[in-house]
Order: sequence, then C-alpha cells, then structure tokens
Amino acid sequence: MNLARLNRNVFILNVLAAATLLIALGMIFFYAPVERTMGNVQRIFYFHVGSAWVGALAFFIALVAGALYLRKPSPKWDTTALAAVEIGLVFLSMAIVSGSVWGKPAWNTWWLWSPRLTLVTIAWLTYAAYFMLRGAIDDAEKRGRFSAVYVIISFVTIILTYVSIRILRDIHPVVFGGTLESAQGAAEGLQEFSGLDSLRMVVTLNVSVVAFTLIFAAWMANRIRLQRLIDEAQTLKMRVAARLQGEG
Amino acid sequence: MATVWAVVWKDLRIERRTRQTISVMVMFALVTVVMFNFALEVNLAAARDVATGLLWATILLAGTLGLNRSLAIEREDQTFDALLIAPVPRNALYAGKVISVTLFALLLELVLVVVFTVFFNKPFWRPPVLLILALGTLGYVAAGVLVTSMTIQTRTREVLLPVLLLPLSLPLVLPAAMAVAAFMFPALPPWGEVQSPILLVLLYDLLMLSVGFLTYRYVVEF
Repeated sequence: MNLARLNRNVFILNVLAAATLLIALGMIFFYAPVERTMGNVQRIFYFHVGSAWVGALAFFIALVAGALYLRKPSPKWDTTALAAVEIGLVFLSMAIVSGSVWGKPAWNTWWLWSPRLTLVTIAWLTYAAYFMLRGAIDDAEKRGRFSAVYVIISFVTIILTYVSIRILRDIHPVVFGGTLESAQGAAEGLQEFSGLDSLRMVVTLNVSVVAFTLIFAAWMANRIRLQRLIDEAQTLKMRVAARLQGEG
Repeated sequence: MATVWAVVWKDLRIERRTRQTISVMVMFALVTVVMFNFALEVNLAAARDVATGLLWATILLAGTLGLNRSLAIEREDQTFDALLIAPVPRNALYAGKVISVTLFALLLELVLVVVFTVFFNKPFWRPPVLLILALGTLGYVAAGVLVTSMTIQTRTREVLLPVLLLPLSLPLVLPAAMAVAAFMFPALPPWGEVQSPILLVLLYDLLMLSVGFLTYRYVVEF
C-alpha cells in the first residue's frame, strides 16, 4: 500500500472509530439498563470486556505477523507485530485498570491474586519484555527474527491463560465460553455477576466490542503509518548524508 | 536420533570434566533456600505453607543460571558454530540441549527435594511430586533453551534472560505449584483435585516443545 492511500485509509478509520466510540459511550450510559445488584458500577463492564477482547486480538495478530515474518522476512510483518504488541499492551492495561476499578465496589478490594488476575499480570509482563528484547538487538534483521520468535512463544502464555481460567476455580466472572464453570460458580456462590440479564445489555456489549475493535484497527493503521514515515525519514537522512559526503 | 544423543552425551561429558554447571546451580539453590529461611524465620509455620512456591522459585532462579552456563559455554568455545556447520537437523540440536539441561535440572531437584524435606518437614519425596517436578522442568527448559539461545546473542545477555524467561514460565509454575501443594498433606489428594493443574502443565510442555521445534532454527541462524 502506498503512503498516500494509507493516509486516506487512516483518516477514514479514525473518523469511523471515533463515531462508533461515541455511539457506544452513549449506549453504555443511556441505553443499557441499571444492573440489579451492582447498580451503575456494572457499566464499567462494557469498557472492560471491550479492551480485554482487543488485547487478546492484538496478541493474536502479533502471533500471525510473527509467523509470517519467519516464513518470509519483510519489515512489513515486523512493523505489524510491533504495532500489535504495543497497542495490545495498552488495551490490556486498560482492561486491568478498569477491572480494578470495578473490583473495588464488587469485591471490596482493588486487587486479588486469583489465578485469572495473576495470569493476566504475567501476560502483561511477558509482552512488556518484548520491548526489552527489541531494545537489546542492534541488527534490524536479527531483531525482526528474534521478536517474531518471541511473539510466538509469548502467545503460549495467552493460550494457557485462556485455558486455565476456564478449568481452575476463580472469583472472576467468565463471559466467553464458560457456561459450565460459571454455572458451577453461581451454584457455589462464587459468582457475583452471572452474565447479562437483558437484551439491552447484550446489544450494548456488542456495540462496545465493535467500537473497541475499530479503535484498535485505527490505531494499528496510525502506528504502521508512523513507522513507515520513520523509515522514510531514515532513508532520506541517509541519502542526504551520502550526498554531503560526496560533495565534501 | 543419534545426533540428539551425541549432543546430550557431549554436554554430560563436559559437565563430568568441568563440574561447572551443576555445582553452580546447586550452590546457588542452597544459598537461595537459606535466604528464604532467613526472610521467613520469624514464622516457620508460614514458611511451611509457602514451601512449594519457594521450591519452584528456587528451581526457576537456579535454572536460569544453568541455562546461561550451558549455552554460553557453546558460544565461548565456538563449539556451537561447529555444530551448526555439521549437516544435522537444527531440531536435533534443540532436543539434545533440552534433554541435557533437563537432566542437570533434575539432578538439582533431587538435592532440593532432600533439602526441602529436611528443612520444612513436608513429604516432597513422594513419587507423584517428583513426577510433577520432572514435567514442569521439561516445559521450563523447553522455553528456556529457546529464549537463552536468543538472549546470549543480544547486547545485554545474562541480564535479559530472567526478564524474558521468568514471566514466560509463570503460567507453568502456577499450576505446577498448585499440584505439588495438593500432595503436601498426610493423605494423598483425589485425582479430581490435581487433574486440572497437571493437565495445564502437560499442555504447557506440549505447546512449548512444539514452538521450540518449529522456531529453533530461526534462533540459531547467522
């Protein structure tokens, strides 16, 4: 994709993402009903699920980009993986912070070392270490190769997180694909929040997930465009330096 | 297959002649255990409760030393270049390294099991516990060989390894420590109680080994 076309797409995505986010915010505050036991605090949930979902999506995209890079090394895939990890880490942090804000009224504590929260922290650390690895390698080709291997290894922690929160007992509610366990939890009184009570909540949740996904897409496009500009500036600088050296 | 054993045999022979890796790992582990005891001295009962976590923490920390040592030797003496030039599949090198470092770690764990049984008066010697330790170690080393092969080629080398490897291995250690903790009571736990943690450990082993076999050749290229 050439830079001019990328610029146009970035603009369209930005507008689209901002518009859907506004709609989602409006729905969260005015359309979704007040939850029976938790009241307005539950509205955080739409934000929390949206950002957690984008975190997982971003790391999956990083995994795919890493695999593609190993198959056929190209700076394009390295940039994609880097952008995905950067943005995924931001969204994962948002999920952790919003969860913590929700946890204070719901669990009466900001933080618990339950398996799920522990594993999310570990995933955060794993992906934060990605930048340490990148920073320690000077050679661009080697950096791309090692980072690609690393995003593939780190995705194992995401899979493990996904599996273990579904088979280990936890205080955290399970939203996606955990009906059995959440029913068990509800029976044992573990679950303080057992799913979505009304259709309006489901609709709001879906809209906010779509909004977050669009923001993610827009940020990815912005970040990739930024990297392209950085690379181009670098090339221009080299050319100027070469020219000056030739004249001098 | 012959290549795998050749690599393992070579590592064991180096170890028998130099005794560098194992001795450093064991000494470091003992110092760590004493430090933990010192930190928890005021409350020995609390120390007993967290002993399984301490055991795994010690294994992880000593493991980074062993991994660094085992792969740095190859770099220093440029034996790895020779191995790479040899017409053998990269996966055989990976398998050989994983096996030899796992053996070192298992030796270390035997020492630690005795030490922990004595210091904390808990049944760490039970065969199921040893089996969980072995399974956990395999997964940890499978990730470790891959990550260490990368970090020794970077600018910050030894410093980078724990930062990368410890978070990666925590999803393994969490269920492994849970499984070991279930065996610390006089009565053996029912299978239902340890089933999910053990399955998680096995899943981690499987995933890490497959990732290792798939990507190792990209890590050792020049």
